[in-house]
Amino acid sequence: MSSVLESTTVRNEHPDVIEAAMRPFGKPSRKFLIAALFLAIVVAAGLGAWIYQLRMGMGVAGYTDSSFWAIYIADVVAIIGVSYGGAVVSAILLLAGASWRAPLVRLAEGTALVTVLVGAAFIFPHLGRPDRLVGMVIHANVASPVFWDMIAITTYTFATFVFFLLPLIPDTATLLASNPDELGRGRRALYRFISRGWVGSERQRHVLHSATIVVAIVIIPLAVSVHSVLAWAFALVSRPGWHESIWAPYFVIAALYSGVALVILVAAGFRRGYHLEAFITKKHFVRLGYIMVALGALYFYLTFADLLPSAYVGEIGPTEIVYGMLLGSVAGWFWLFLVAGTILPLVLVALPWTRNIGGIVIASILVVIAMWIKRVIMVIETSGYDRLTNSFGELFRFTWVSITMTVAGAAAITLLLMLLFRVVPMLSIVEMQELSPGADASDEGSASPTKSSHGRAAGVVGAVILLMVGIGAVGVTNAQPARAESLAAVATETLPVVTVTAVEAGPENTVTATVTLNGQPVPGVQVNFYESTTMFAPGDNQVPLGAMSTNETGMASIKFVAAVTGPRTITATYFPTVLGDPVVGTANLDVTEAVSLYAPTPPRLLATAGQTLALILFGVVIIVFAILIAQVVRVRRVCRPVAKGSGEPVHGN
Amino acid sequence: MTSLFGIGKRQDAPVDFVLDPAAEELDQSRRNLLRGLGLAGIATAAGALGLVAYRDEAQAATADGTSGQEHQWCRVVDLRACKGERKCVAACQTRHGLPPEQTWMRTLSWHDDAGKEFFMPVMCQMCQDPPCLKVCPVSATIKTEQGVILVDQDQCIGSRACMAACPYEARYFNWNAPAPTNKMPEQSPNTSEFPSNQIGTVGKCVLCADRIPYSSDLPACVEACPRGAHFIGDLVTDVAVNGQSTVKLSTFLREGNAVRFKEELGTNPRCYYIPGNGQPVGGPLEGVR
Ligand code: SF4
Ligand code: SF4
Repeated sequence: MSSVLESTTVRNEHPDVIEAAMRPFGKPSRKFLIAALFLAIVVAAGLGAWIYQLRMGMGVAGYTDSSFWAIYIADVVAIIGVSYGGAVVSAILLLAGASWRAPLVRLAEGTALVTVLVGAAFIFPHLGRPDRLVGMVIHANVASPVFWDMIAITTYTFATFVFFLLPLIPDTATLLASNPDELGRGRRALYRFISRGWVGSERQRHVLHSATIVVAIVIIPLAVSVHSVLAWAFALVSRPGWHESIWAPYFVIAALYSGVALVILVAAGFRRGYHLEAFITKKHFVRLGYIMVALGALYFYLTFADLLPSAYVGEIGPTEIVYGMLLGSVAGWFWLFLVAGTILPLVLVALPWTRNIGGIVIASILVVIAMWIKRVIMVIETSGYDRLTNSFGELFRFTWVSITMTVAGAAAITLLLMLLFRVVPMLSIVEMQELSPGADASDEGSASPTKSSHGRAAGVVGAVILLMVGIGAVGVTNAQPARAESLAAVATETLPVVTVTAVEAGPENTVTATVTLNGQPVPGVQVNFYESTTMFAPGDNQVPLGAMSTNETGMASIKFVAAVTGPRTITATYFPTVLGDPVVGTANLDVTEAVSLYAPTPPRLLATAGQTLALILFGVVIIVFAILIAQVVRVRRVCRPVAKGSGEPVHGN
Repeated sequence: MTSLFGIGKRQDAPVDFVLDPAAEELDQSRRNLLRGLGLAGIATAAGALGLVAYRDEAQAATADGTSGQEHQWCRVVDLRACKGERKCVAACQTRHGLPPEQTWMRTLSWHDDAGKEFFMPVMCQMCQDPPCLKVCPVSATIKTEQGVILVDQDQCIGSRACMAACPYEARYFNWNAPAPTNKMPEQSPNTSEFPSNQIGTVGKCVLCADRIPYSSDLPACVEACPRGAHFIGDLVTDVAVNGQSTVKLSTFLREGNAVRFKEELGTNPRCYYIPGNGQPVGGPLEGVR
């Protein structure tokens, strides 16, 4: 034990980091308890609302057939969206080498983890039958974007968890070594488990660092994939407003934008609650604010790029959707989003006298709320549009059930974050220790995140998924030559006789009817021919074959190709008087060769593309999981030899 | 009118006897995929659960064991005969115990400049490339070998992806409990062909598939129409009936200049519309005034 203390004290240049990180570990303050209790009540109310909804049906949440997708799917998109903020601050800034991120990473990663879990949880109220969710695994349909939503969210959650876990190894080891007594038994056990075998050797640190880099590289395209596939759940259907090629990148930017805003809020909250002013400074907020408004400007641009083509062409569906946003049923919400969600934040960050912590926090609150509103608009407006009548049905109406659950989601995020950082340190201790105080100043101005080569990997994945949108046009014509018809009204005193013969020659059948009156042929009258079918009636259902006039020998004959083989009755009828009963003659015909006009269609264009794509995607998912697991294994392996023989790290280097 | 019909290949392909067996492929491709990835173990495990192959079972259970070579069901709506009485709608509602807001069959109506009213009954078009089937994450939407699209009410998780995907707004959701099964005149056996409405699942026109092969009973809407506007047909045997007359399907469609609704979306629907509004030109004249 003493040797450990010695070795850690050497590295602990800023013991205050440890002290600060452990602030939430003490006895909870009254404020904390009241807040936690309040949040827990809200969460419980949300769960109660869900149980009520389960019993009564989704109608109580305001859903109708003209708002079949509404608030819960918007919540899924919005909450999983904000989790991307963690990925930006941690992964992108890590890869960009922006060391100022250090005090924020743990908070950002924790936010990412908590929000992705809460966001994914909103899939449950979204489903009509959540009890059957296991069907997504045991009889999944890989052609469905919703299936890939599940895969993407699962993969991303796992990656987020790994990304959260890896840097905890040295941190927990440090805490175990420096302040074992203040940790309490539960945390001690957990930390021993997480950090078992960690001694902080050069090799261990090297492996951990490179593993973290690998996970950071993987997590960025994963986050892109999650938000893209969420977008494709909408864009892969032919509804106006949803069926937009821009939606995947639009969702990704939306996620980044609102995610950075949430990181700002979480950082502000913890800074205030646990007095982290020494670590998280105005500089951090300003830099995050710059990133946020840059993304906001991009989102503003994409909004314009989304709406312009729809409105310009004037196709009725897309135009109605754009009209609804600008001047119609959701216009109030849309303009609120545009002003409060993109313009005001930009102004607040741009103006020097509001570019302070307060101003930036207000801007972030506006962004988080406005982006949620935007998601709700995007979902409910198109959902309410009826493509048959080209008009809007009744749009979604909020009810206490859906509102309670959404508020409970927000409360759950806050509560889980408060609890999470009572368990694990809220500051990334080792990373902050490793950065000398001078490093902070030296990298001033290197705040902008840069996209690196993994963007390409995401691009490949995205491009491949796009192929899923296979559009096929089919058209096979099959027409028979029209038959000439002539009408002749004949009135006779005695009843004529119709005799019928039917002969099969190859697939073609010739049916001949002879009309005679007192043994004399009757020329120039119309004979109608029918064949019997067993279809749609077990008895004698007569299918018209056509009509033909008799020639001078009293004979009329037609040729036809039967659709099915088998025996049938051929009937020829002739109306001697306009209003009287027909004269009927029949013959039996056993068809042995038939040609049905029905033929299966040739496969659509790109018919096999979906399968190929799914195959590739499965491969990609497996590789991603392999990479992530490999990083954990790698780190564990370098920890193993030392851990042998003792549960505690005893050796220094 | 034309705007409703979209820009289908009216001239070339009024009669489109084409079928893409995409649904059958999906299931096969899923297994191939899993196998190709060396995940045959998972496929076997799932198969052992008897779940992966469920779609084949549903197909076999459909229509007294006849295969797709014998029948391919379709429907024809003769708009010349439709006067907007909505008897088809009422019959469907009754037979399937549907609440008023859930209309598997709905009759659209609109006015021309002269104020004359036009009608068009719309229901599930039994698409042969059904967008609803593709997006269903749990394979609860199925396509039988005879081209009927059905929903397995016991598999549906209520994701409503199919409602988003259906271009004909043909799907409805059972939002509220209790589902009014008890109101049905005949008790539903709760099959895909004649579902009992379960809370939290989707419903749509099932072509009254429990009446296949329609030898004694026709679909409720077909039987209900006093003007014979609704036809049920079979592409293989080339016959269609409306309960009053029997027609040779291909001739009927060709002579009526039949079109399909929103054909440009690639859905390959199995519902043909004969355009018109009461014109006494060909077609069944009974009941047309
Ligand atoms: S009309 Fe709609 S519900 Fe019916 S098969 Fe087509 S897409 Fe599916
Ligand atoms: S076929 Fe049956 S289910 Fe479909 S609309 Fe007609 S009555 Fe309703």
